[in-house]
Amino acid sequence: MQATLSTLFIVWRESIEALLVIGILYAWLKKHRLQAQIHRLWFGAALGLALAGGLAVVFFFAGHWFSGPGGEWFFAGMMILAALLIMQMIVWIHGHSHSLKTNLEQEAALTVSRSGGLGLMLVAMIAVAREGSETVIFLAGVGSQYQGTSLSLFTAGGVAGFILALLSFLILNRLASAVSWKWYFRSSEIVLLLIGGAMMVSACDKIADQLAAFDLPDWLFAFMGDPLWSTQGLLPDSAQLTSMLASLTGYRAQPSLMEVLALIIYWAAALWLSRRAGKNARLQQATIRQSDSGAKPGPGEARIRL
Amino acid sequence: MRICKIFPGSGRFCLALVIFLLCGGRALAALPVYTITITDGVYSPASIEVPPRQRFKIIIKNTGKGPAEFENLSLRVEKVLAPEVESFVVIHPLKPGNYHFIDEFHLDMAGFSIMVTEPKN
Repeated sequence: MQATLSTLFIVWRESIEALLVIGILYAWLKKHRLQAQIHRLWFGAALGLALAGGLAVVFFFAGHWFSGPGGEWFFAGMMILAALLIMQMIVWIHGHSHSLKTNLEQEAALTVSRSGGLGLMLVAMIAVAREGSETVIFLAGVGSQYQGTSLSLFTAGGVAGFILALLSFLILNRLASAVSWKWYFRSSEIVLLLIGGAMMVSACDKIADQLAAFDLPDWLFAFMGDPLWSTQGLLPDSAQLTSMLASLTGYRAQPSLMEVLALIIYWAAALWLSRRAGKNARLQQATIRQSDSGAKPGPGEARIRL
Repeated sequence: MRICKIFPGSGRFCLALVIFLLCGGRALAALPVYTITITDGVYSPASIEVPPRQRFKIIIKNTGKGPAEFENLSLRVEKVLAPEVESFVVIHPLKPGNYHFIDEFHLDMAGFSIMVTEPKN
């Protein structure tokens, strides 16, 4: 029973992050009737599953690379790429949410296929692959210890965990869509940024761990490792539930200067860039409206409304 | 290309980092090293004693049949090892106390402790 519960929890914890990322992007694309892009999202998720399986195979057949510096640098690089792509996606959505609302769907759809499509696919792929490979390794590792009844209990735990993640995501989504689209949009943007920031902090941690094996000056060790403050007593980041908080938001009970700076710079850059993109979009929209004033809706719009 | 546009100078920074890693960083020779093995959830030795405020390295070997995960979340150590694989972690200077590690794949086992104690004079 204990094994079933811990399996359930681990699968739930690992699936929810990928579901959040994909679900938010899906809701956004659907809202703006960008059906063609939704296929890319699914394609990215499928690629992510394949990559997760591939990484698990690498783990069992090239374990020295996977657990050694090579693997650590690979995962750090993947997480930085995902964090930056999430930021780019938010900046891009910000720049287009205005034009999308004002009957410029076709133009927007064109831009998506030009610039956002590949990013969309990669974000979905990395979100699934990162958590997925951990889950596959865990399931393969723990599952191999069980036989007979306990193996089926263990499998049931894994399946229940995934269903629970799906359910909690659907409930969250339903709750969120009860509020206005504007608030839904805002809050999902924040969730995406939280996940991106958490990836950035984890990547920095991984890099710091690798650098720590080298002969570095003391200030660099202090920068990477010395805690600035401690909220361990208030909200520890090591318990089962709160460790999820750490992996979803980048929260650390005893953060180093490096971790704090990584999070601040990430958030500041995202907010500044998306504000700028929003401003540019409003300007552009104003000029289009001026030149378009009084004109009837174009054929492009009519086609999309169908 | 897009990322370079958004973050000017990021390319140059990465290049510098790579050059540093390729030739600048030499392995820390003076670092105290402790070696432990994990065999299907059983740590050997079950605990080590280390002096406080000193950085040290732990070499972990998985000699079990299945994968193992050397984990202590408050120290941010999560090392997954395939069977017959060896790797290392560097632990930051610690305050006196007891730091407990688990094997996430064998949660029912006793785990491993780092005891940080002031040297007796």
